[in-house]
Amino acid sequence: MESHVLHTAALSKRYGATVALSDVSLGLAEGEVHAILGENGAGKSTLVKIMSGVVQPNSGEMTLAADTYRPQSILQARAQGVATAFQELSLIPNLTVGENLLLPRASKTAFWPESRSGILRRAAGLLSQWDISDITADAIVEDLSLAERQRIEIARALSHATRLLILDEPTAALPDPEWLFRQIKRLSSRGIAVMYISHRLGEVREICQRATVLRNGNSIDTVDLSGVDDDGIFSMMVGRSPDSAFVEPAEVPEDAQVILGVRNLNVGKVRSLDLALRAGEIVGVAALEGQGQQDLFQALGGVIKFESGEISVGGKAAELGSPRRAINAGAGIAFVPEERKTEGIFANLTAASNITLPKIDQAGQAGIVYSGLEKNFAADVVAKVALSPRYLDFKVGNLSGGNQQKVLLARALITGAKCLVLFDPARGVDVGTKQSIYAMMRDHVAAGGTVLFYSSELSELVHLSTRCLVIYDGQVVANVPRAQLTEERLLAAAHGHNQEMKIAV
Amino acid sequence: MMQENEIMSDATMDIEDKRSSARISGEFVTVVMIFGLTIAMILASRAISPAFGSWSQAETILYLGSFLVFCAFGQGLVILVRGLDLSIASVITLGGVLTASLMNGSNEGLFYLVPAILGACVLVGTISGIGVAYFRIPPFIMTMAVGLIVYSLCLGFTQGTPRGYPAPFLSGFMQAKFLSIPAPIYLLLVFVIIGTVLQSYSAFGRKLNAVGNNPLAAYIAGLPSGLLIVSAYAVSALCAGFTGMMLAGYANGATLRMGDSYLLPSIAAVVVGGSSILGGQGNFVGTVGGALLLTTLATILTALGFEQGWKTIMEGGVILIALIALRDESFAFLREQFRKRG
Repeated sequence: MESHVLHTAALSKRYGATVALSDVSLGLAEGEVHAILGENGAGKSTLVKIMSGVVQPNSGEMTLAADTYRPQSILQARAQGVATAFQELSLIPNLTVGENLLLPRASKTAFWPESRSGILRRAAGLLSQWDISDITADAIVEDLSLAERQRIEIARALSHATRLLILDEPTAALPDPEWLFRQIKRLSSRGIAVMYISHRLGEVREICQRATVLRNGNSIDTVDLSGVDDDGIFSMMVGRSPDSAFVEPAEVPEDAQVILGVRNLNVGKVRSLDLALRAGEIVGVAALEGQGQQDLFQALGGVIKFESGEISVGGKAAELGSPRRAINAGAGIAFVPEERKTEGIFANLTAASNITLPKIDQAGQAGIVYSGLEKNFAADVVAKVALSPRYLDFKVGNLSGGNQQKVLLARALITGAKCLVLFDPARGVDVGTKQSIYAMMRDHVAAGGTVLFYSSELSELVHLSTRCLVIYDGQVVANVPRAQLTEERLLAAAHGHNQEMKIAV
Repeated sequence: MMQENEIMSDATMDIEDKRSSARISGEFVTVVMIFGLTIAMILASRAISPAFGSWSQAETILYLGSFLVFCAFGQGLVILVRGLDLSIASVITLGGVLTASLMNGSNEGLFYLVPAILGACVLVGTISGIGVAYFRIPPFIMTMAVGLIVYSLCLGFTQGTPRGYPAPFLSGFMQAKFLSIPAPIYLLLVFVIIGTVLQSYSAFGRKLNAVGNNPLAAYIAGLPSGLLIVSAYAVSALCAGFTGMMLAGYANGATLRMGDSYLLPSIAAVVVGGSSILGGQGNFVGTVGGALLLTTLATILTALGFEQGWKTIMEGGVILIALIALRDESFAFLREQFRKRG
């Protein structure tokens, strides 16, 4: 067996009843740059948290240079030579670059504060050690750009990593990774191992020698990157998926009426995006985390205002601006948000009240409502989402996640909107609920509506969409028709591959 | 990356739901218990004096408690939408002072004076509501500031001594009896019915509940959140003004401090009645129970001849005990017991 700097065996981590990591075994050799690959939610971040001491595993072993390694905190991990540059930056915004670099020991002595010039001198030494010449040690962190902050975050980790450096999506905010690659090479030439987490396969191939693929909390395999092509890696990430339960979506005629038209939309990360949703279409959206899909969906739902762009609903120009306007715009847009608990449900109200709320003025008689009236009013949409009517009197907070999601979808349907904008509608719900949700979406488009949905599960996109848009860096980089839909194809496009396929939609 | 954790917390809830419907809700038990406690206190007070524990004492409590019930309804709506109305005392005073000075002891023009006085109060509440909903001023600060301003206006307007008398019709109503029961008790009954319907069985009430329960979700669901919040404050001021008017009729005049003893009890009544001080949960019947419980307690303590200090300490103690006893956990236990028998 080769000499490992860090070795993990059967690591597992549960949060409540659910398993984030079930069995992760991998070894990082001296001087090796080792990539961790996996879909969103495969367990990459949990693995980073365990290795850097943020959370403790429920079972499994880690050995660091032949000793048992069980860090209880970030500082303990660092004391043993394991340093992490986190994805969400951990710098303190109102301190200087120098102080941040030296924290938690900004002062050399315990009792007497070190002089400011002393701190700055030491920090300046660190900056030049890591080839950072354009940021001064006395700059305040909150004045820096995101990319500059990311470099400081990385430089701090570089200085503390004497055995292992962990980089969690380091290039997400770095426009030019060359600086980072130089530093990584310096470290690995000294025998320090580097664990590199990235969605960008191109980078991974450039800098890493081996990769471990995670799927559903398991380490699937560790491969030599020179011996496997991209497709091979993607299929390892995706795994085999059962195709049986899905029905083939119907073809949509080219001349079907456009229900939602979007022209040149700019909002948040989204840049000049065009979109046309026709009656009868279920349009899927695939994207890695944070590519602007939240901005797009929230803007269409009226939750956030957009900078520029034209929206037409049912052929008529529409101002969105608030969810109320989106619902009332022409044929109507009903939005189901990502966060069920914080943005969706009213935990203290009954399921029936939750569903009827947007149309409560029409649910009652002479402004008076009670549960019987509400249940009758909701009966129609409750049947459409296959929610058991016996739950209608329950407080929504007491229902399972799947039933809560059905309640939210029923609420979207009761608005009568033709266009449903659903952000990951089947996330974290059981298989039976997923099927009900899929059926509801198909029925909705069969009745002349249209659906735009984002999903973090590729298999869902492949089997449900009549076509699928891939968003990368705020732009639609691919419009994959039904006939060409495969998980590998979506995953490759979502990683920014085949940019030449860029198509106006 | 919080992704994993979120998926997990969702997934943990996906355990097959096998409960029977939770028929006995915590709110219902609170209401029953609080009315039970009030009645028990009235009956127990017979031990103190034979004059107590009688129907006439219950009448007195309903009569005196009605003022607190009126203003606690508005307070309850504001608390429901995650607010707090500290201007209630001043608006009661405003209602009372305007009633005394504008009516000036005559029935003339009553049909427009009553709406005008209440309208002035609604205006005050609307201002508070706009500050809270649109300028994002914390409710505590906004209503306190508005309350101070209103109080100072009353002070200036009356030059320190409110003059005048309410319309004879009003003071007559407060003294009147139908079927040997004081007229204001009928008014209380009507008010409680209207209030309950408005808060729990109307479209308006549903929307307020939703906004208080989850403001962000209410916005995304397309509710006009700002308008709803403003209307809660407006109704609260309307109720406070109405309380002031009734108090002026009862006392046949107004004073500048007539509202002071209602502010904190109005909050206590709402909370003791089972509403969440954090908003989004509560019903008016519980608040009525809370108001009557507080009134009963105050009456008994006064009759026992406690000094003000001791009285206040005991009131505070009872509120604390009620709150601890009426928490959800206590009900979870009771429900468990019921199920075992059923």
